[in-house]
Amino acid sequence: MLWRTLAAVTCGTLLISSARAQQTDVANPLGSSEQAIAQGRELYNRTCTVCHGLNGTAGDRAPALGGGRPYVIRTDAAIFEAIRSGIAGSAMPASKLQPLEVWKIVAYIRSLRATASDAFVAGDAGHGEHVFWNNGGCGSCHMIRGRGGISGPDLSNIGGERTLSAIRDSLTKRKLEIPSGYRPVEVITVDGRTLTGIAKNENNFSLQLLDRQDRLQLLTSDEWVKVTYKKESLMPSNYEKVLAPADFQDLLAFLSRQVVHKPERRRRSEEDQ
Amino acid sequence: MNRWGIIAFIIFGAHGTAQVSYQQLLRADPANWLTYSGSYNGQRHSVLKQIHSGNVRELVPQWIYHVPGSGRLESVPLVVNGVMYLSQPNEVHALDARTGRLIWQYRHEPAVRRGPNRGVAVYEHRVYFTTPDAFLIALDARTGNFLWQSKIAEAKEGYWSPAAPLVIKGKIIAGVAPGDYGMNGFLDAYDASTGERLWRWNAIPRPGEPGAETWAGDSWKTGGGDTWLTGSYDPQLNLIYWGIGNPAPDFNGELRNGDNLYTECMVALDADTGRMKWYFQFTPHDVADWDAVEIPVLVDAVFRGRPRKLLAQANRNGFYYLLDRTDGSFLLGTPFVKSVNWAKGLTPQGRPILVPGVEPTLQGTKICPSTSGATNWMSPAYNPDTGLFYVAALEGCGINTKSFEKFRPGGFPFDATGYVESPEEPRQLYVRALELTTGKLRWEFKQIGSRRYGAGLLSTAGSLVFAGCDQGIFSALDANTGKPLWHFNTGQGITASPITYTYKDRQYIAVEAGSDVLAFALLNH
Repeated sequence: MLWRTLAAVTCGTLLISSARAQQTDVANPLGSSEQAIAQGRELYNRTCTVCHGLNGTAGDRAPALGGGRPYVIRTDAAIFEAIRSGIAGSAMPASKLQPLEVWKIVAYIRSLRATASDAFVAGDAGHGEHVFWNNGGCGSCHMIRGRGGISGPDLSNIGGERTLSAIRDSLTKRKLEIPSGYRPVEVITVDGRTLTGIAKNENNFSLQLLDRQDRLQLLTSDEWVKVTYKKESLMPSNYEKVLAPADFQDLLAFLSRQVVHKPERRRRSEEDQ
Repeated sequence: MNRWGIIAFIIFGAHGTAQVSYQQLLRADPANWLTYSGSYNGQRHSVLKQIHSGNVRELVPQWIYHVPGSGRLESVPLVVNGVMYLSQPNEVHALDARTGRLIWQYRHEPAVRRGPNRGVAVYEHRVYFTTPDAFLIALDARTGNFLWQSKIAEAKEGYWSPAAPLVIKGKIIAGVAPGDYGMNGFLDAYDASTGERLWRWNAIPRPGEPGAETWAGDSWKTGGGDTWLTGSYDPQLNLIYWGIGNPAPDFNGELRNGDNLYTECMVALDADTGRMKWYFQFTPHDVADWDAVEIPVLVDAVFRGRPRKLLAQANRNGFYYLLDRTDGSFLLGTPFVKSVNWAKGLTPQGRPILVPGVEPTLQGTKICPSTSGATNWMSPAYNPDTGLFYVAALEGCGINTKSFEKFRPGGFPFDATGYVESPEEPRQLYVRALELTTGKLRWEFKQIGSRRYGAGLLSTAGSLVFAGCDQGIFSALDANTGKPLWHFNTGQGITASPITYTYKDRQYIAVEAGSDVLAFALLNH
């Protein structure tokens, strides 16, 4: 009975306060400073990981907060309110933390979700660039601003498109889904050749293949005997192991800073001239 | 490191081998379609003849590719080793030219809405195109990866760039528009590898330069003279031939007294330096917006008993011209449309003999051909086997008016009023075959129902001329007689020029219609 009353009160408070927060859309007074994020991470790992996982991953009783899925509670103010007041109808309780502490956690959660270029990423980006083009071997398959290989996606804007955790995952985790246009494929042709590469496009009747020598091979179904798609992406997932920890962190720092500044779309009135 | 990467890196280096060499561009490898006009000479004639006048009735569609978000496509697709590169404003699409399947797509941001785009250029492993905000962009031909971009001109001032670039000896030649906004035109050359600008030729001379005396007062400052359609090139003479657009303001010549050089000219520029070797002005002091940008067609032929290096152009002003392309001297000029009322003829030097009073007025004056032109961006074609010059010709007149508009900086039209099509002489589209060296009409094919701009032409050694029209009908005509041998209803107006290519021993004909690209081949081949 007590619990139910508490829940009702909390719920009412949440509605009122979240409405207020949404109305004013308060930004985090601490901004996204490196210090706030670091302190927020410490607070988060101390207080939130009873339910959520460490470092923004999924926990035993609550979901991951660090990107990789759509979120309903997105703004600084909304996250603040969710921590302060809990989330009605869920197991998320109200917190007893001081507002300043809550804002630190907000800064940390936002940093987990921001594209990598907006997040604070430790490491020496200059040395990370060296790792990219040398011992990391990334440049043999990936291009950055016109330099590098073409079998993997262009990474010129990777920091502006992906979260830090997504970049880290792609370097360290087996890919469950290979993006279309990069699926490894092996084709045995009618004239006995074996072609391997990635499928840029495919259907029942034709296959457009970028082969290992970076040549486009255009095939129709009467020209192949067998097409075998590989389950594994060509992208290795062991960079945490093959690179020294410092090199790995530096590479993350370098990738996070790869942004092509795309100017915002012009207003309609200007476009129509 | 990626194991494939290691292998590729060790054996082949970071890049694959070059796709298109200058040698290939020079000999206009007939299996491919490598430049806007198919070859440097601008003839739009292919030696392919698997499809010919005897079997063209068996031509059937192979595929249709829809270009999402496009309206009326006006670009010429290029084909390299079975890959087709086509463009619309801000976008390039790479297709499997045999199946029409997408290989990659690139979109330039911010995507300023301005069109059309008339095509790409290819060289080595790169694809080049220009944008509505006046950039030249290089992409990797295999994946569409962005390589670099160079600003051609300031879009905020009003410039943009619609023409397909032309690659000559490692240089990318790119032009600009719109002269109609009072933007002074120029032609640029960029380093194909780095995008660095190597030379610029200004179409409007500045005070003190030769030709400046052809502009009254400060009128040269907003003189126009743009370079919006791709030119031709003679490797032996090392000359680029490029047609120059109209003077601005378009319709009121009082605001810019003089001949207004080098608007309405054919210019010959040294490909290495951009220096002008000669010019020929078709319409001095034009007041009808008859840009002289139409494709210069280069032919070596006997003219009046003497082998000559000719340049043929069917001009928007209604006359068909032959020039000697070594020095620009005038050889011949004769109307190729019936509706010409502004000039009685041409002097021995090729200057029009004007009919007094045929110029825009406040009340409106009938001018023939109309400002749409006796032809326009629609490419002509020349078949060396028949000796015939084929042109999409537009009969019709316009009513032209003028005003005393002032130039406004920042990208606004500077027309000093305009024209309407004359209701008494509505436009009518034809395909006309002219004898190259006389300009005499050998045959014509009336595009019944077509009262608007039409499509460009393609000539093949199969004794065929391919033509389209705004009614969506794509047809194959007998090159000798103009008799229609085959047609297909594409369902959308055609305003682009067709191409041909082969892949794995099969000849294809491709054309853009509306927002789609269609490819045809013989049923049983």
